[in-house]
Amino acid sequence: MDDSPSPFRAPVIPLDGPDKVTCTARYTFDVSLPGMLHAKVLRSPHPHARIRSIDAGRAESLAGVAAVVTGADAGRLPDPYYGVAIRDQPVIAIDKVRYVGDMVVAVAAIDEETAYRALSLIEVQYEPLPAVMTVEEAVAEGAPFLFEAPAGGDAVPVGEGVTSLKEPRPNVLSEFGYRNGDAEAALAGSDHVFEDRFTFSRINHFHLEPYVNVARASGEQIELWSCNQDPFVLRNDIARIFGRPANTVRIHASYVGGGFGGKSFCKMEPLVVLLAVKAGRPVRLCLSMDEGLLTLSKHAGILVLKTGVMADGRLTARQSEIQLDAGAYSDASAMTVVKAGYRITGPYRWAAVATRAYAVRTNSVPAGSFRGFGGTQASFASESQIDMIARRLGIDPYEFRRRNLLSVGEPFQPGDSGMDSDLLAGLDEVVDRLGYRRRVAPPGVGTTRRGMGLSVGLKDGGGTGNHDQALVKVLPSGRAIVSAATVEIGQGATTALCRIGAEVLGLPLEWVRYGAIDTDHTPLNNGTHVSCATAVTGMAIERAAADARRQILEFAADRLGCSTGELTLDHWTVRRGNYAHLLEPMINGYFGDAGTEFIGRGGTKVEYDPRAPLAAPNLFWIPSWVGAEVEVDCETGRVVVTHLVVGADSGTSINAQACRGQVEGAALQAFGQSLFEELRYDGTEPVNATPLAYRVPLASDLPECYESFVLEHGGPGPFGAKGIGESGMLGVAAAIANAIQDAVGVRLTQIPFTPERVLMAIEGAR
Amino acid sequence: MSQLIDITLTVNGRSHRLSVSPRRVLADLLREDLQLTGCKIGCDQAVCGACTVLVDGMPATACTSFAFELDGKALTTIEGLAAGGVLDPVQQAFLEHGAFQCGFCTPGMILSAKALLARHPDPDEPLIRQWLNANICRCTGYQMIVEAVRAAARAG
Repeated sequence: MDDSPSPFRAPVIPLDGPDKVTCTARYTFDVSLPGMLHAKVLRSPHPHARIRSIDAGRAESLAGVAAVVTGADAGRLPDPYYGVAIRDQPVIAIDKVRYVGDMVVAVAAIDEETAYRALSLIEVQYEPLPAVMTVEEAVAEGAPFLFEAPAGGDAVPVGEGVTSLKEPRPNVLSEFGYRNGDAEAALAGSDHVFEDRFTFSRINHFHLEPYVNVARASGEQIELWSCNQDPFVLRNDIARIFGRPANTVRIHASYVGGGFGGKSFCKMEPLVVLLAVKAGRPVRLCLSMDEGLLTLSKHAGILVLKTGVMADGRLTARQSEIQLDAGAYSDASAMTVVKAGYRITGPYRWAAVATRAYAVRTNSVPAGSFRGFGGTQASFASESQIDMIARRLGIDPYEFRRRNLLSVGEPFQPGDSGMDSDLLAGLDEVVDRLGYRRRVAPPGVGTTRRGMGLSVGLKDGGGTGNHDQALVKVLPSGRAIVSAATVEIGQGATTALCRIGAEVLGLPLEWVRYGAIDTDHTPLNNGTHVSCATAVTGMAIERAAADARRQILEFAADRLGCSTGELTLDHWTVRRGNYAHLLEPMINGYFGDAGTEFIGRGGTKVEYDPRAPLAAPNLFWIPSWVGAEVEVDCETGRVVVTHLVVGADSGTSINAQACRGQVEGAALQAFGQSLFEELRYDGTEPVNATPLAYRVPLASDLPECYESFVLEHGGPGPFGAKGIGESGMLGVAAAIANAIQDAVGVRLTQIPFTPERVLMAIEGAR
Repeated sequence: MSQLIDITLTVNGRSHRLSVSPRRVLADLLREDLQLTGCKIGCDQAVCGACTVLVDGMPATACTSFAFELDGKALTTIEGLAAGGVLDPVQQAFLEHGAFQCGFCTPGMILSAKALLARHPDPDEPLIRQWLNANICRCTGYQMIVEAVRAAARAG
């Protein structure tokens, strides 16, 4: 809440903009290597089955086929499993298939057509096994097990008051527990205790650039051009899986055509490498969107919240039990469940908290990272219930929130960092824009009723104990290259990170370029996650730029025979008193025509602290302020959102336009999930895992009035910035549910709020 | 092998005489034979609109158009817009209004907007939304794209 003028007020043309509007931008999708083969994958039609035999002889002898890979090949790898914390997913199915869409055989051929033809010649004998399709089925007595033996890896490390278990019971991938105070006693001492159950749906990322990888294996070197958003995580996984030293694995990243978490962590990449190794030629595997829909999803789940409150509207304690549907394999579920569990208390003050959260294996598409990472599920349940309690107590939902919101500086939980956003200020902004205070009793025309709903979503941001390295090279001309492993996935990292470097060095933004990413040369980071680019990578870049600046000033001071304290640096000119010295001639005069480069290095690491529940205090908080006005047709159950207000806190906006784009883009994803978008199963069959049937929001779905705002309350990143990318996801679903109740007096506890569900709720209430 | 079909088509003002397989789809022809990789393939099923090109000025999905169907037609791809290094008003508006994020839908979006503005030089918001329904953008939330199209209309 610093009032000093931000150096980032002026609008800028994004550095990736010219490439993108002319479409000269190169994506991994556009990578082509000489002699490159094309791969296709045969997938399981069964949700759960043992693989008895695979006959790929006819495929192997088809002209144009270069390699066929099965579980037998994978089984010979030094460590054929991957996953985050818990490693249970094989490079390709080894003995069993565990969901419809599981990868069984891969073929590399001269073109995709030949590869498809080869797949049709492969015969796989399966022994079908009973499947568990829902969390309830998976944890029921006598349920079949997805895994007979424990998987590799470890439970997610945690801190004070938290338990984290790996595979505590059959079909339970991981368990998270958190206790602060005596929740049972606090509930017993509360004037009211409410228990409510919420059901969250499964959606797909639907990034438009497909999953695409090109691998080349020559000699000891493995090279991979990947759309993955985590080049170094991938390098380490490939090295481990293939038993190679990590310095023989080189990952190239390009522009990424959307990800939203879908392209995080290891997935089909080692399979592409395995094909390239076996074929002895480069191999490209580009998944179809149908395959993408069966590669990863957001976690469906069931959340049961028991919340105590005093008659005056003061919240006391919350006991929660959360079950997230992890699907068939771990992916990032063990981490997601920790985050969902920890965030379930929302942006409020509690005397006591007790939470249990589980990731449960089912025979469905694996679930993993999705923008919000467990926070969307938690915010939906929590902000729905907060509203329900307010209405039950006859307290206005705004007023109820106001009484319980964390104040600035108050820790989220004991041992964690304090709230760094003015939560009430954001809510007030929503209330003003929505016209919430001016509303009258729900009016309606004919069969429609109107209502308004609010919500305050919240998640931690920046990653737990995260770290990053960066490098800034300044050339003799003052042109600079900013280099880090954060990929440009559309979030605007290129522009934000270059702008931070340019500001520190006193250079025009147009003089700075974001370096190509290649794990041989680019400094390491943890990947492009958790809204961390601006704050965490940005901090490393700020330090690298400051290091380069120091070297430049030391060089100039040496040449001028003075101390660095006498010099200022701006626009590639050093000034000493009234004299200006151009740096380029100074550099070339000393180093010769080739000049030199000033190479600055910087890094950052969030320290671990076992007293913090998640083993490191959270770096910054991501609030999501949402207000919705809806029109509900009582005869059809159709909900139309007529006005949607979405607000976030950027700390300091490095690029205000990009911040707006992040907030509005995320909120529309959440909007789609709230009203209609869902990856559906009918029994064991995914029924809409194809783009024609899988409905995502279109331009005409936009609320008639759709507005966003970004507050700047300061943060720990460079120039007071913090992350914003996930914010818009968090509060939307609950705000719409709350508005529906305001309009028609019924509560939807399951998303999406389809006309059928709304109508059923209305009729049930009659 | 199937017989090749001779076609003549104009792409971005240049005439091409080509022999194509009856199964050759336009998106592959553009990307692989003519190196016009600005045509992006997202869903490959005419749903997402990333591969949109203009055929005689009207938007068409290149992923589901057969190359032989284009015989005698005039195509405009994204590469045909910024002729002489000067951005088209639609491209300029997208650039200034933050109407792209990952950029994968952008060529199709820009070409759909071009076609819209050619027919309706001053479209209102519902009309813009209606035309852009043919193109999925998963990143932006559309509002900034709609604003860019309005700005392009004003500039045009």
